[in-house]
Amino acid sequence: MLELRINGFGGQGSVTLAHLLAQAALENGEQGQALPFFGVERRGAPVRAAVRMSPTTIHAHSQCELPDYVVVMSEKLIGAAVSEGITAIGTVIINAPEAVAVDKHPTWHVDADAMAREAGLFSADGPNINIPLFGAVCRVLNIPQNIMEQTILNKWPGNNGERNLGAAGKAYNTVTQISL
Amino acid sequence: MKAAQVIMATGANAAALAVKSARVDVVPGYPITPQTSIMEAMAAMVENGEMNARFIPVEGEHSAMAAAVAASAAGARVFTATSANGLLYMHEVLHMASGGRLPVVMVNVNRGIFAPWTLWADHQDSFAQRDTGWIQYHCSSNQEVFNTILQAFRVAEQTNIPVMVNFDGFAISHCLMPLTLPPQEDIDRFLPPHEPEWRLDPANPSSFSNVTMAAEYAQFRQMLSDDIIASIPLVKQAAQEYKDITGMWDGDTIDTYRLEDAEVVAFAVNSMAAELKLSIDILREQGIKAGLLRPRLYLPFPAEDIISALPQNAQVMVLDRNYNYGHPGGILASELKSVLFGRRNDITVKNRVMGIGGIDLTRRFMAAEIRAMMDE
Repeated sequence: MLELRINGFGGQGSVTLAHLLAQAALENGEQGQALPFFGVERRGAPVRAAVRMSPTTIHAHSQCELPDYVVVMSEKLIGAAVSEGITAIGTVIINAPEAVAVDKHPTWHVDADAMAREAGLFSADGPNINIPLFGAVCRVLNIPQNIMEQTILNKWPGNNGERNLGAAGKAYNTVTQISL
Repeated sequence: MKAAQVIMATGANAAALAVKSARVDVVPGYPITPQTSIMEAMAAMVENGEMNARFIPVEGEHSAMAAAVAASAAGARVFTATSANGLLYMHEVLHMASGGRLPVVMVNVNRGIFAPWTLWADHQDSFAQRDTGWIQYHCSSNQEVFNTILQAFRVAEQTNIPVMVNFDGFAISHCLMPLTLPPQEDIDRFLPPHEPEWRLDPANPSSFSNVTMAAEYAQFRQMLSDDIIASIPLVKQAAQEYKDITGMWDGDTIDTYRLEDAEVVAFAVNSMAAELKLSIDILREQGIKAGLLRPRLYLPFPAEDIISALPQNAQVMVLDRNYNYGHPGGILASELKSVLFGRRNDITVKNRVMGIGGIDLTRRFMAAEIRAMMDE
């Protein structure tokens, strides 16, 4: 069972990102689970969501305390996200303007903010960074690009889906592993 | 034959889809977190014509259950849903449903009780309704929520006893997972239309639940008590026939995991019992012969099935997500001890309260708790 935690700020679209990843697992022939932590929601407050993927039935219903992957939606959260828990060899995927490496952990970098802006993906809370992040995380998890794209088109048929595809595809093909 | 369809759904959506496939006639509803998304889904499905039902928005949970009682007495198949303080507010009318022998089915999305306020799951709300004369299921997965609601309608209408289907707020209700939807014709075969023995009918006026003298009243109460116990074979039959038709199985009165040769048995309900399967695997890797017994039915408490399922000389670790005030521990432990007393003197029962107000219960934490309990 693969476990992943998303750490972000309220309004960044972490719930949708978790849902897309769980849906992509199903499209990819596996079981998927998205379990966002719902608190007393406030925009801008730290939020988190658990995602699990497994070839067999998922019995876990807790938050991911020691995930194999941590997705950090803002570079301001790197320290907090890693200290919240990750396996010793767990991978970190970071949205930041510049590449940042996390000590002792394989780290991937994507500038999701710039890619969302470039594609004109905005909501009331700002650029929809969750769309390029979805592409980037699929690449890191070795989910085929066509599965990633199908997941987006199933959720947003029509023009919105097409616009999302561009940003997610760019992130899929440019997310880079930082050499330690 | 049409194939089953697999979609992604939250536990709340799974509940709403089960109610839709049960072809429910009337849904009185009032929102309360974390149940609200069920009522939102019901209202939307009625509004857009997916469901041929009457949705009755009411001003509170007491009225929601009163409307459910009235619609059921008029012969309708009725569903409503609530959580925590909403369930407590219904308490008086729950007795009207069971005493009136009305087969209402209700989902309670488990949530800790005010005061102080909490939004997250524990099991104080449903267990506090133990003595209302409702049959109570507790579910540990999204799929089980869907399956159980259909089984609940069948059992309710066979017994004329209302049924409550419980599952954890957020951990299930807001958890997105794959859900298998059997073809509608299979569901219709499992759950035929509701044909009540009698109904309130303006064309043929009658009354019910009138004033009774002591002997009659006592007789009604005895019948309810007897019929609740007699529902156990029907619960088993519903689970078995649902499996024969859909291929899906969540247990009947109980669900077990690696129990046959277990020396240490975890005993718990709802989502923590699903997570406990992983704790059992951890303990087995550590060389401890651990297993799980999950009562799927809380009421009637499946005494005989528990007694016959527990291995010889087992230590049973009851993990209660509730308090049994006035006693040092939880309600499930108390129920279990009363069942075992004089019947299984080889069994040791140990108990811890945990996960109150939604404290996260991880596989590692519960495995460590069980290990610590072994040394007590």
